[in-house]
Amino acid sequence: MELFETLSRLTAAHGVSGREEEVRALLAQLAQPYCDEVRTDVMGNLICRRAGEGPRVMLSAHMDTAGLVVSHIQEEGYLRFSSVGGLTARQLRGQSVRFANGITGVVDAATEKGEKEPALSDLYLDIGADSRSEAEKLVSLGDTAAFHVPARQQGERVLSSGLDDRAGCLVLLLVMEALKSAPNDLYFVFTAQSRVGLRGVQTAAYAVDPAWAVVVSATAADDTPQADHRGSCALGRGAGVKVMDGSVICHPRAVELLDRLAEKHEIPVQHEVYKAGRSDAGAVYTTRVGVITGGVSFPVRHLGAPVEIADLNDLRRCVQLLQVFAESELSDL
Amino acid sequence: MDLFETLRALSALPGPSGTEEPVSRAVREMMAPLVDRVYTDRLGNAVGEKNCGRPGAPRLLLDAHLDEIGFVVTGVEEGFLRIQTIGGVDARVLPGREMTILTNPPLFGVVAALPPHLQTAEEMEKTIPLDQLRIDIGMDQQAAAAAVPVGTRAVYRAECFRLGKDQVCGKALDDRACITALLRTLELLRDRELDVDLTVLCSTFEETGGAGAATGAFGARPDLCVAVDVTHGRTPDGPKSGTFPLGGGPAIGVGPNMARWMSQRMEEKAKAAKLPYGLEVLPGDTGTNAWVLQISREGVATGLLSLPLKYMHTPVEVVQLSDLEALAQLLADFITGLGKEAPLCWSC
Amino acid sequence: MLELLKTLCMLDGVSGFEDQVRQFIREQARPYADSIREDAMGNLIVYKRGAKATGNKLLLAAHMDEVGLLITEVTDEGYLRFRFVGGVDRRVAIGKPVLIGPEHIPGVIGMKAVHLVKAGERGSVPKTEELYIDIGAASAQEAGEKAPPGSYAVFAGECVEFGQGFLKAKAIDDRVGCAVLLSLLKEPLPLDCTFAFTVQEEVGTRGAFGTAFSVTPEIALVLEGTTAADCAGVPAHKKVCAPGRGPVIPFMDGGTIYDRELYALLTGLCRDNGIPWQTKEYISGGTDARTFQRSKAGVRAAGISAAVRYLHSPSSVAAVGDLEEMLRLTRLFLSAVAEETQEVRHGAV
Repeated sequence: MELFETLSRLTAAHGVSGREEEVRALLAQLAQPYCDEVRTDVMGNLICRRAGEGPRVMLSAHMDTAGLVVSHIQEEGYLRFSSVGGLTARQLRGQSVRFANGITGVVDAATEKGEKEPALSDLYLDIGADSRSEAEKLVSLGDTAAFHVPARQQGERVLSSGLDDRAGCLVLLLVMEALKSAPNDLYFVFTAQSRVGLRGVQTAAYAVDPAWAVVVSATAADDTPQADHRGSCALGRGAGVKVMDGSVICHPRAVELLDRLAEKHEIPVQHEVYKAGRSDAGAVYTTRVGVITGGVSFPVRHLGAPVEIADLNDLRRCVQLLQVFAESELSDL
Repeated sequence: MDLFETLRALSALPGPSGTEEPVSRAVREMMAPLVDRVYTDRLGNAVGEKNCGRPGAPRLLLDAHLDEIGFVVTGVEEGFLRIQTIGGVDARVLPGREMTILTNPPLFGVVAALPPHLQTAEEMEKTIPLDQLRIDIGMDQQAAAAAVPVGTRAVYRAECFRLGKDQVCGKALDDRACITALLRTLELLRDRELDVDLTVLCSTFEETGGAGAATGAFGARPDLCVAVDVTHGRTPDGPKSGTFPLGGGPAIGVGPNMARWMSQRMEEKAKAAKLPYGLEVLPGDTGTNAWVLQISREGVATGLLSLPLKYMHTPVEVVQLSDLEALAQLLADFITGLGKEAPLCWSC
Repeated sequence: MLELLKTLCMLDGVSGFEDQVRQFIREQARPYADSIREDAMGNLIVYKRGAKATGNKLLLAAHMDEVGLLITEVTDEGYLRFRFVGGVDRRVAIGKPVLIGPEHIPGVIGMKAVHLVKAGERGSVPKTEELYIDIGAASAQEAGEKAPPGSYAVFAGECVEFGQGFLKAKAIDDRVGCAVLLSLLKEPLPLDCTFAFTVQEEVGTRGAFGTAFSVTPEIALVLEGTTAADCAGVPAHKKVCAPGRGPVIPFMDGGTIYDRELYALLTGLCRDNGIPWQTKEYISGGTDARTFQRSKAGVRAAGISAAVRYLHSPSSVAAVGDLEEMLRLTRLFLSAVAEETQEVRHGAV
């Protein structure tokens, strides 16, 4: 699998929370050759199993992105919407968004210029329709749209919409491909509805019932001029070993093991602490009788903006680290 | 059992949420002689089991939490440590505070505070926000970065000591005082006949959402639960409403989080034994593990007993030993005969 | 069914104190149910077999509880301090009559007269801690005996039919769902159904956790009352939905993205059978569906709601006509699910 090319395809696929069909189909197709079993659950999670004798181990990344959902169509053909997955009015205003069927539109605010920051309910989406009936031919209530800036590679950096967490999905695919034999019963889970509150992963983790889990996610890079030092990672310094974020404190055993494996295999890593963000790990570790949960993350600049920036070498390090993790002997208690 | 010595020993141990093992190990050792079996689970809970021997007896789970609030290092800047909090830290008490950095071996540190003569009068009226605070460990950048990796935890460095006749002051009394009360309850139950199968769950992660209680209860499958936690003790600057004077006994939780019959049974037992108590009326989320325990599996009849504590989430938390003893007595009385008397549904 | 709804609305059911509603539903359901149980949190789970044996395939749910008040303290002068249970806009509570406990001790939520309020304060709403209930007690002791801390209170008021087919009552959210389910329960059913009358929805969809865990359905249909904001002056995109325009079928709210196939099924049934319907045109709120959906390995979630104005106030308003349409739609939904479901061997509940 070619890294940048696959990432381009993944970031181009539509998949706002709850409407992950397109990206799920692509992931299923890419994962199929490396897995014994691929299925979709009620929440829309894609659960891919690589059967093994050892304990159940779940590796996951979320496939949904933030975006907006159409909630009302005005007589004049403008669309009103709700933000899905936490995008703010500031992030959305003036941006172009695209629906799954290719229809694009631009977001603006129905408030006078110079007024204070508009509320989300003041925003509308213009798809160029002149009337409700014309708009209804193009989109329906409940349809979702997202940022759609195509991926570009500049040196070892990639610029694209949706790197959170399609780059994480890519990491899982590359791990599947690279894996030789693993002693564990591996579940690669591409989760749905993560951006709306870690919803999908709850049912996936319950069904898989793993002893160990590692969640692959984006973390806000702390190396920009506006960095507030609530995070700890910088682009290009290697795979992030998650210590904690706003939703989880990782199991000390998971952190120790990932550190030890990185040292043994000479994989550059950096410890991640990012209190302002949440990851699926926060819903995994409390599942059933508890799961020994860790995280592997990659720093992303401008998280949530139409163009995010990540480092391809960081992604390669994530793949290496997860591969040796998946291939190691894991004990339960 | 000496309540003060037990509490002092537990208070001294470091256990910010997620890294409670030193506390968990100590509690398992303390609990071992009082129960049939102790064990730990994936998330590090310290669990004790004591069975009554009656087949089909109801299963009662008692919960208090092991963890305390704390700090995590997010970076090193000119030799000083940048930090974020674990749980609800009160940033007002930080400047000039002594800290223990949980490296191996631990390091001493102090929270940097600019001297008053470098600040304006206006600045001195404001709490310093956490992202501007640093911990000084007396090292230069290179030494500090090598000694303290990102992700290292820290806790308050504070003695546990007697305050006045019967009060105790220290860090992490939330909720080590309640762990102590549960140990005392087990001691009281030693000579009584049990008719429930008892699980004592000393749980992890309470300060960050109750993951230990959720997973521990899932494993223990209780029919009945009582969470034991602290509540606000009354102080001259605080409200009278919703706070409880030290020495006034434990507070019995009342509200949708608590099965009504359990609140009532607690009140009856307190009256019968002439134990002091208060009623804490809570209209929704109690902010305790009771909230998590109640919705475990099929749903669990849940009660809440709270110990009044002053200056919550500071290094100088204060409790009164007579309240601890009253709480343990009340809980032991509540448990005695519970198996035969507990209704099987909310309104039966 | 209107009379049934009125009866249900007049019962007390503040979250955690659903006893009157539970008892009424239990008695009503008894002659028609194959089994009835109450769990540790007070959920009432009624199982009724249908023409096709489908076991625990389908869960139908409505919540019994309503928002209200909880007495926290008796003041030295014999007034009652309280906190709201569930989300109440305290502006709609000030100066309202309430009834305390099963004895229905009358009280009013008091406030000092406008003459005594400083000019600068008139624009701001008193905090809940500043409000109190006056039951006319002469002393703290008298008040404490009549309404001890821990007692609940409900908003007082009658059910009133008014205007062009509207009903005003307290607790339409969610006695409307209870009324639809109870009516359905009395009919022969096309498939086995579990009817869950849940508790504590208003304090965090709390009853739904245990209900879903013990029932383990494949599909959960939640019957609810949902916010309508179709008042004068509200822009169209914020009106959400409107009473009188038929059942509300949500595709998304603040807690749930509903199962797309079930959403399509429900809206299709409306179209094919001439049932007026609407969706939620503003994303907010949440129902027990959020908890059902994420239970165990996941449950397909669908919703049918009545549009209710002034939800969570003493005077909520719904359209009587919507009620029958909700029942019709639910009935059609059952038949459609039965049709596409394989018969299973009758198992224990």
